[in-house]
Amino acid sequence: MLNDLQDVQGPFGVPEIMKYQQNRYPLLFVDEISEVIPGKFAKGKKAFSYNEWFFPAHFDGNPNVPGFVQIESLVQVFLMTFLTLDGNAGLQTSFVSLDAVKFKRKILPGDILSIHAELESFKRGVAKGSANSNVNGESAVSATFTIAIPEILAKFRPLDIN
Amino acid sequence: MGSLETYKNAFKKLFELEDSSLDKLVYQGIPEWDSISHMELMTILEKEFSIEMDIDDIIDFSSFELGKSILAKYGVQF
Repeated sequence: MLNDLQDVQGPFGVPEIMKYQQNRYPLLFVDEISEVIPGKFAKGKKAFSYNEWFFPAHFDGNPNVPGFVQIESLVQVFLMTFLTLDGNAGLQTSFVSLDAVKFKRKILPGDILSIHAELESFKRGVAKGSANSNVNGESAVSATFTIAIPEILAKFRPLDIN
Repeated sequence: MGSLETYKNAFKKLFELEDSSLDKLVYQGIPEWDSISHMELMTILEKEFSIEMDIDDIIDFSSFELGKSILAKYGVQF
């Protein structure tokens, strides 16, 4: 069945997104993938309702989206660029590096973050790429990533020596 | 630049090493040469020498010295 998903272009919502990635509530931070070309790019959205679990704590009287949530939103759209490739759906991923992070505006309750993620390369379980975002056309958070799929990576590494 | 210099530079740039550290360098012999950077090293070498290595060779590539004999299989002359 997963092979049938290879050509999906979107749009699709959370149930479909969860077929590709293992992030779940309360740490699933993408609501919709509007378009994806496996191996190339993905576009997605995250709407931050006032009811988000983190707003009461970040911060009382001045609710705004924590930086780590903004980054996770970018990453979770980025994951779709390579988890939609044949054989990758549903595999666990892990961060390798996160660079060039820029927070260009505060994200507030009611804002909808539109994200565009590009895959630069995917080889032997290691994905490199970037994502940028905006709220109503106004630039928001952006970053570059290296993310691994440990299950694939393990097939290529030398036997542990130490 | 000769093949040996290109080969050495790949390790030196990626792991920030001096020439003198290379000969005895092995996978996981330094913290920097882990499973992730191993894939990066393979990608750099493939690009530098315009080759594509088989899975078995990538797994066997466990030291600086062994790497030279593996690359020789792809026509890289040292």
